[in-house]
Amino acid sequence: MKRRLFLASSIAAALGGCAPIGTALNDNPGFHHLLGLEGALDAAILGDSSGLARRYSVADISPHFPVDSLPTPTSSTYEALLASGFRSYALAISGAVERPMRIPLARLAGMAQQTQITRHDCVEGWSAIGAWTGVPLRNVLLLAVPHRDARYVVFRCMDRDDQGTPYYESLDMAQAYHPQTLLALQLNGRPIRPDHGAPVRLRVPTQLGYKSAKWVAEIQIVGSFAHLYGGKGGYWEDQGYEWYAGI
Amino acid sequence: MRYSVIVQRLVYRYALLTRLAHWFGAIAVAVLISSGLQIFNAAPYLDAADRSTPARRVLSIGSPADGVGQLTLFGHTFTTTGFLGWGSDGVGGESARAFPGWLTIPAYQDLADGRRWHLFFAWVASLAWLAWLVSSAIKGNLAEMVLRPSDLPKLLPMQAYYLRLRREPPPHGTYNPLQKAAYTFVLLVLAPLIVLTGLALSPGIDAIAHPLTVLFGGRQFARLWHFLGMLLFVGFALVHIVQVATQGFFNHMRSMISGWYRLRDHESVGP
Repeated sequence: MKRRLFLASSIAAALGGCAPIGTALNDNPGFHHLLGLEGALDAAILGDSSGLARRYSVADISPHFPVDSLPTPTSSTYEALLASGFRSYALAISGAVERPMRIPLARLAGMAQQTQITRHDCVEGWSAIGAWTGVPLRNVLLLAVPHRDARYVVFRCMDRDDQGTPYYESLDMAQAYHPQTLLALQLNGRPIRPDHGAPVRLRVPTQLGYKSAKWVAEIQIVGSFAHLYGGKGGYWEDQGYEWYAGI
Repeated sequence: MRYSVIVQRLVYRYALLTRLAHWFGAIAVAVLISSGLQIFNAAPYLDAADRSTPARRVLSIGSPADGVGQLTLFGHTFTTTGFLGWGSDGVGGESARAFPGWLTIPAYQDLADGRRWHLFFAWVASLAWLAWLVSSAIKGNLAEMVLRPSDLPKLLPMQAYYLRLRREPPPHGTYNPLQKAAYTFVLLVLAPLIVLTGLALSPGIDAIAHPLTVLFGGRQFARLWHFLGMLLFVGFALVHIVQVATQGFFNHMRSMISGWYRLRDHESVGP
C-alpha cells in the first residue's frame, strides 16, 4: 500500500511539476529566446518555398466561413468607404518603389483575376475552404516597380484592437511574388463582406490565417520592418507568434 | 561465492545512446504533451474531416456556462467541471478552458508560447527516437525487442503472471513477450504515426507534401490522429511507469541510468 501511495504521489508530482517548471522557464527571457530559434530554423529552411497550397473543388467549400479577427473597423473613414460602396477606396502603394501610386478598387477589379479554392488554416487550429477571387499580389507590385533592394512588403490595415493598435502584416518578396498570394476582392463569388475584410484583403494560402490581413489600406515596400510597431513584422508577431507561418 | 554469482548475472543492457535517447525522449514527450494540450485549448474540438466540420465532430471540450465544464464524445456529453472545460486558469483562478493550467505549458493560456515549446521539443523527441532507431537497427539490438510470431503463444501466460494467476513468468529473452508487444507498438508504430501526423501539421510541410496530409484524411483529421496518438502514448507511459515501479524499481532505474541490469531467474539475454 505504501508503495502504491509512493507511486501515485510520484506520478502526481511529475505531472504537477511539468506546468510550474515549464511556466518558470517560459518566463525566462533567455530560454524563451532559445525556443524561438526553432521558428528561425523553419524560416531558413522553408521560408521561400515555392510549394503550392492544395487546390480544392467547389464541393469542398465550407458552408460557413468563420470570422475570427479583430473587429470590423468602426472609424469614420471606414464608415464613409462602406457608405460609398467602396467607390472612394484606393489601395496605396508606397515605400521603396519607382512609382508610388493609389489604385482605385475599380482598377483592381479590372485587372486579370485569379480564382483559387484553397484551405484557410487558423493558428488556433480551425480550417475553412473558400473560393477567393482577386489579383495576384505580384501583378499589383509590378505596377509600382519595387526597388532592387526591396526586401519586405508591409500591409497596413484599417482594423484596430481595443488599445487602438492597428493591424499590420508583412511578407518577404519571395512570399509576396508567390503565384497563389492574392489581393482578394471576392469570397465564394460575392464581394468580400465587411467582416471578412472588405473591400480588399490579403490571401496567402501557404501561410497561417493571421498572415492574410483583412481591410488592407496601404502596401509599403521596405528594407526592414524593425522600426514598425513592435518590430516583429506583424500585429500577432509582436505578441509572440512566428513571423514565418508556413502551412 | 554468492557475490560472484550476482556479478555474473549483471548484464550491460543499454548502450549510452539508448539511455540518452530514453531520458531526452521522456522529458521531450512530457513537454510535448503539456504544450500540445495548450495548443488544443485554442480550438478545443477534433473533426474527422479536412476542414472544420461540426457534423463530423468526434470530441469537443467546452464551457456552456460560467462554472460548468463539459466534454462531448461522439455526441454524448459528460460533465467535467473543475477538470475539463472549466478549471484552473494557471494564474490562481478558474476559467473556461479545455485542459486546466496544471496540465499545460505554460500554465496560463498562451497559444504562441505553447507552439514555441511544442515545435522546439518536437525536434528533440524526433531526433532522440531517430538516433535510437538507426543505432539499434545497425547494432542489431532491435531484434531483441521486436515481437515475433513465436512470442504470440507466450502473451497470455505472461499476462496471467501479471494478474497473479500464475506463479512464474514464462522463460524469455531480454524482454518478455508483453514488453515486446508494447515496445514494438509504441516505438515502431505509434511513434512514426505521431511524428508523421505532427509533420503534416508542421510549418511549411503541407505546401511541399500534400500527400502526407491527404494520407491522414486532411488537416483536421491529422489533428485528430495526432491527439489520439498522444492518448495511446499516455496509456503506455502510465503502464510503463507502474511496471518499472513494481517489477524491480531500483534494477530498472539503474539499468536506464548506468546500463547495467540484474537478470532474474526466468530471464536470459537475446530475442
